[in-house]
Amino acid sequence: MHELSLALEVCRIAELNAAPRPARDVRTVAVEVGEDAGIELENFRFCLEALLSGAPFAGARAELVSLPGTDLRVSYLEVDDGRPDD
Amino acid sequence: MAVRTIDVRERVMARNDELAAVVRQRLRDAGVPAFNLVSSPGSGKTSLLERTLETLGEELGIAVVTGDVQTQNDADRLARRTERLVQAVVTGGACHLDAAQVTAALDAIDLEQTRLLFVENVGNLVCPASWDLGEVAKIVVLSVTEGEDKPLKYPKMFRMARYAVLNKIDLLPHLDFDLDQAVAFARQVNPELRFFFTSARTGEGLDEWYRFLRAEARAPALR
Repeated sequence: MHELSLALEVCRIAELNAAPRPARDVRTVAVEVGEDAGIELENFRFCLEALLSGAPFAGARAELVSLPGTDLRVSYLEVDDGRPDD
Repeated sequence: MAVRTIDVRERVMARNDELAAVVRQRLRDAGVPAFNLVSSPGSGKTSLLERTLETLGEELGIAVVTGDVQTQNDADRLARRTERLVQAVVTGGACHLDAAQVTAALDAIDLEQTRLLFVENVGNLVCPASWDLGEVAKIVVLSVTEGEDKPLKYPKMFRMARYAVLNKIDLLPHLDFDLDQAVAFARQVNPELRFFFTSARTGEGLDEWYRFLRAEARAPALR
């Protein structure tokens, strides 16, 4: 029921950690979801994908991994660094 | 374009937990124990608080932070029973209170003049269990018009709570509610749970509740 609040907080953390790159350059937001975190995974995925599809993001992918435990954790981001390919 | 991976490893609840820790310290410094009152909608949290404020509001210097999804109705109801401050939080759709809202509400409360704080959460047995508000303990209210098996259906909330109030006991003669079974289910998920049996309507059982609150307001430092 509170999946949207949690997804909003994930977006806040993602935006903060992407800096100085803008949120629209975030390509992937990877999140670990504890099996006992009290979170309905598919509902959470729906909320997070909806948020990541709109401003300030621009269609970042939500990568969700279910793990044992009670924590919900943003594990990593993939961010376009604006430089040409190596 | 080159894509770079940024390690984050940040708990999503970290910010709430940090804010809750600040609230807890602030209340401890002020010697004010706070109870987070949780239940499903309609179990009688507000009625219990109305009675409590009428009887003990002045004596114990009770302040209340009350959360609702919409309207300030509960805050208005409570404000009629006390001269003391009742701070309303309208969550605007959110299904729980969080520590940031309690932090903001505390700014409006004179903690020097307060000896006991109630936080009346949004009526919901699921989400409020996940948000620490800096309270000393959660008190879960269950009413006899609900199912005996609520503790089994919402085990996290009953596990997180230290006290349970079984309310509306004046209605027991009219219902099939099995009180012993409800207590047994609750103790199954949380053997430590301490029960109060009350009717906020008739006042039955409230003496023990008041004794408990008086003791809590007297000795907050001992926790």
